[in-house]
Amino acid sequence: MNIAMVKRLIWKDWYLNRAAILFSLIGGMVTLALVASSHGSNIVMILGLIVIVTILIGMGSMVMASAVTERKQQTLPFVMSLPISYVEYTTAKIVGSLLIFLVLWTVMLVDILATILLAPGFPHGLIPFVVIMSVEILMSTCLVTAVAVTTESQGWTVGVAQVGALSLNWIGWWIVRFPDIGGAMRSATVRWSGTATALLSTELAAIALLLAITFFIQARKKDFI
Amino acid sequence: MIDFAVEFSGVTKRYKHFTLDCIDLKLPTGCILGLVGANGAGKSTTLRILMGLVHQDAGTVEVLGHTMPDQQALAKLEIGFLSEDMRLYGAPTLEWHMNFMRSIYPHWDGAYANSLLGRFDLKAKQRIKGMSHGQRVKAALLLALARRPQLLVLDEPTTGLDPIARREVLGELMAVLADEERTVLFSSHNTLDVEQISDQITFIDRGRIVESADKEAFLDRWRRLRLVLPPNTRLPGLPGVVAIGGSSRLPVVTTNRFEPAVVSACTERGVAVQSVDVMTLEEIFIASVESRREGGAL
Repeated sequence: MNIAMVKRLIWKDWYLNRAAILFSLIGGMVTLALVASSHGSNIVMILGLIVIVTILIGMGSMVMASAVTERKQQTLPFVMSLPISYVEYTTAKIVGSLLIFLVLWTVMLVDILATILLAPGFPHGLIPFVVIMSVEILMSTCLVTAVAVTTESQGWTVGVAQVGALSLNWIGWWIVRFPDIGGAMRSATVRWSGTATALLSTELAAIALLLAITFFIQARKKDFI
Repeated sequence: MIDFAVEFSGVTKRYKHFTLDCIDLKLPTGCILGLVGANGAGKSTTLRILMGLVHQDAGTVEVLGHTMPDQQALAKLEIGFLSEDMRLYGAPTLEWHMNFMRSIYPHWDGAYANSLLGRFDLKAKQRIKGMSHGQRVKAALLLALARRPQLLVLDEPTTGLDPIARREVLGELMAVLADEERTVLFSSHNTLDVEQISDQITFIDRGRIVESADKEAFLDRWRRLRLVLPPNTRLPGLPGVVAIGGSSRLPVVTTNRFEPAVVSACTERGVAVQSVDVMTLEEIFIASVESRREGGAL
């Protein structure tokens, strides 16, 4: 593995997406600042979370779909003419895209947790739900990455991104129905249950599996352009 | 120095509706090889296999001493590649692309890149999306040349250019190639482009190599003879006859093994040779492909 070359490709993706990263971070921080200053207003909190989730999903889809964009805009032959193998290209594309998303995702998650913990009016019992749903967004983004990189099809990628976004509501509703998660959401203290740990572990395992499948498929491809 | 920059041996690639069939191709180091073929003949597939972008189903490919596709990263360090479907990133400037390439290629020649900027009349600070198609092709050519590659692979670089831009790009390319010795593989369906640049020519059609020789040999060997047959005289057997047209009394014979003795052989048999026409590369290409499609031997 030519690590130096992979790093340069990652840097290239960061440079090309720098404006989107910056504006997403600013948009997310401003939204969270408004939520924090709302003194626990349910309406402001719900609207704020919708904005943040939209930013995360939108940013995730945009960054992760860059493999499709490279093919569509015909920059893939340029990249593949560089001294790299296709596995190195795949590594750079997945790691670079995930790093971009993870920076945004981590900043948002830390800010949301800080808001819940430090701003007045928010029950700390929300934290397990927020963490599980945040990892669910990360998992959904990894799914979009896997589909974008392996199929390089705009139709499939957009379709999976839409299904991922829609299923977020359904999964949120499903998780809230667990008594030890939904029932503890209005609690003043954090109650981390075995169900929460199991859900989180499943999500992390699914992320690892998605990435492994992506590399497995890519390593067996014969035509790249 | 290796004798052959590129060696294809029995290379086959099968698609649902197209097969690149048992390609044998050798490009001597220092030569400029023009790969000529109609659209869909297999030129791009051949060059993509050469670059490791498509893996062959059978056969072996050696590029600059590296086995493809396994050692493609090493080989591509020494290859400058430009294809008609290649685009640079639209939002960044040409300068950003130059810096990106400089960070990758150890042989990147900044002074040469700057001289090419002037020669190609390009502005480093200009965004790629603000350039015309001709300027984009020149920008991509600059990026390919300034890395000082041992092998330059150009896949239909002038396709889609207007006549002025095409002449500019070809002119600049010829000037650059005249500067120093390079190994170049240049594919095109435009025989005029290939005739100007190449010193070796290979015809490819329907996934198979039809003919391969150096350009002068092509142009020297192929002739069109306009003959006048006396009444009740049959056309004498001539070497390398690829096509016979015209009428039975005034046949027009295309041969790929012409030599002055052919004219004297005709005259000795009472056949008058009205003219011996030199053929253009395009005429040679068409005659060669048609003959092969009709099942003739070349």
